[in-house]
Amino acid sequence: MTAPVLEVEDLRVDLRTPRGTAHVVNGLSYTVGAGETVAVVGESGSGKSVSVLALLGLLPARTATVTGRALLDGEDLLTMSPERLRQVRGPGVGMVFQDPMTSLNPVLTVGRQLTEGLRAHGTPSKAAARARAVELLGEVGLPDPGRAVDRYPHELSGGMRQRVVIAIALSNSPSLLIADEATTALDVTVQAQILDLVERLRTEHGTGVVWITHDLGVVAGIADRVLVMYGGRCVEDGTVDDVLERPVHPYTRGLLGALPDLATDDDADLATIPGTPPPPTDLPPGCVFWPRCPVRGDTRCETEQPPLAVVGAGGRALPHRAATWCAEREAS
Amino acid sequence: MTSPSTGAPDVLVSARGLEVHFPVRSGGALRRTTGLLRAVDGVDLDVHRGETLGLVGESGCGKSTLGNALLRLVPPTGGTVTFDGADVTRMGRRELRELRRRAGMVFQDPFASLDPRRTVAQTVAEPLEVHGLHPGRQARAARVRELLQLVGLDPGVAARYPHEFSGGQRQRVGIARALAGEPDFLVCDEAIASLDVSVQAQVLNLLRRLQRQLGLTLLFISHDLSAVRHVSDRIAVMYLGRVVEVGPASAVAAEPQMPYTRALLSAVPLPHPQLERSRQRIVLRGDVPSPSRVPSGCRFRTRCPDVFAPCPDVDPALQPVGSAPGHVAACHLHGVVGTPVERERPDAPVDAGDPAA
Repeated sequence: MTAPVLEVEDLRVDLRTPRGTAHVVNGLSYTVGAGETVAVVGESGSGKSVSVLALLGLLPARTATVTGRALLDGEDLLTMSPERLRQVRGPGVGMVFQDPMTSLNPVLTVGRQLTEGLRAHGTPSKAAARARAVELLGEVGLPDPGRAVDRYPHELSGGMRQRVVIAIALSNSPSLLIADEATTALDVTVQAQILDLVERLRTEHGTGVVWITHDLGVVAGIADRVLVMYGGRCVEDGTVDDVLERPVHPYTRGLLGALPDLATDDDADLATIPGTPPPPTDLPPGCVFWPRCPVRGDTRCETEQPPLAVVGAGGRALPHRAATWCAEREAS
Repeated sequence: MTSPSTGAPDVLVSARGLEVHFPVRSGGALRRTTGLLRAVDGVDLDVHRGETLGLVGESGCGKSTLGNALLRLVPPTGGTVTFDGADVTRMGRRELRELRRRAGMVFQDPFASLDPRRTVAQTVAEPLEVHGLHPGRQARAARVRELLQLVGLDPGVAARYPHEFSGGQRQRVGIARALAGEPDFLVCDEAIASLDVSVQAQVLNLLRRLQRQLGLTLLFISHDLSAVRHVSDRIAVMYLGRVVEVGPASAVAAEPQMPYTRALLSAVPLPHPQLERSRQRIVLRGDVPSPSRVPSGCRFRTRCPDVFAPCPDVDPALQPVGSAPGHVAACHLHGVVGTPVERERPDAPVDAGDPAA
């Protein structure tokens, strides 16, 4: 594998809140290679969105403390000057958020919003930028791009709006695309179209993708690697087959067990995870999942934080790792 | 619940030719009516007593409006709805009040559907007061405790306010309120859509348990096909204001007979990487046409991969398909059955391929 596009090392985010300091991301490390899709999964409040907002300097500086390293093509995003960061957003990183209606400006045409980024990052002439905008809209599969370029967001359907947001994110051919619940608000049929589109762009342009979602079905279809987040920590990571077919962490197992399966005729009750995630202002000292864990054992779970350790066969380029004392207990 | 092969099923709620059309008005001072938005456009559907009927479809297909119209929460503009034999569309005030007791509703957003200034006890007790059930303060409080226990909440939470609860707990409060009048029929409109996966599973299990325990009839409206498949006895598929396929859940999920159902099912991502890699996905072209510009003939024809000669000219009727009894679909691939299109109808466009639609 070539040099990674993104290298995140020990990322930590603390947010000051009226209820005390919230430890939202607690030591997250991962890499994204060129043309590789890394899925970050977890439930609401697991810290998955904050972890990418922190990378792009999109958290309020007054309340957020971000530490660690995040190298984008070798350059640290976290220590960058605001000017340099502005240059990097666009050609370096494109971002797609969940709700296209709030990420698009309702009073500007689609074309205006697309050309803004193009002209800020080097396409000088208005005419050239407009031509490129039409081309991009065609590339993301918008019907009749020549007309769509002059439309306003409210004139488009949800799926088309999200395509526009993706077109904007890709307008400067970024080496990294970050998608935060990008298809969650869409119907499954439209979601399938968007996933196809991202897959195509990834193989054609070699874009690295960080895909944040709670939908394990989507993960199974698009991810090379999966990182499961809980309580601001990575509790399990590995190849998509490792994590979804041979999950080790009780939380990952719980998530998969809670999914109703379309493919089987099973009439049994779904497995549930009792309780709720811990508040980030008051994380348990040991294993973060301990208070809800169905297989919690000795006092070690309660007091000692398990490291992210290799499980199963070692020595592979992409190891399967989990932060749990259970694997050890099962082995012994 | 009886299958049609052994006799007529016991129908609790029934819609025939049900229509809910909204006028589309122009902007400006005159507000002239310029068109019709056909949210529900000729739906025939039976809900059998004691079953869970899943209603699926993409956003904008009219599934929520249909659920509302069955309970007359929106007035139908055409067709009939009967509830336990009585015509819902002609009910007077008193009958309507009794309908409100016998048919409950659980809404999507547990943050918006609970009054933030009322305690849980006040919220759950309101239907009891309205319908004069369990009179007396103590009897009412006892019933509230019973209802909270029924949905898996600690009766001690009765004095608390909605903001003190998580989404899953709020949805339980919403379910307790819906059950207060001892309804026969419960409409759950996207009741799990705003919940996290692990909490969704809790609420799905709860609904199934309540249905068995109380003998409820459930209409489970959702865009989540896996969840619908899991809870439903039968599944109805809606497209652009019309029910296009109905059948036993296992038959619809395993052997869908209408190209739209097939595409919808194939688009559901499954959490199995190996299966996902090998699966052939039917990707539909374009978006759903606007319900104010419904295509002529079969309304799915503008996106259908199997479109052929009769599709633009004949509006397909539901007809028996497949091998399972009670499995019906509106599709000409199973024989051309339906109403020929009146060509001069001005609001039936020839093509709905407009990108703005």
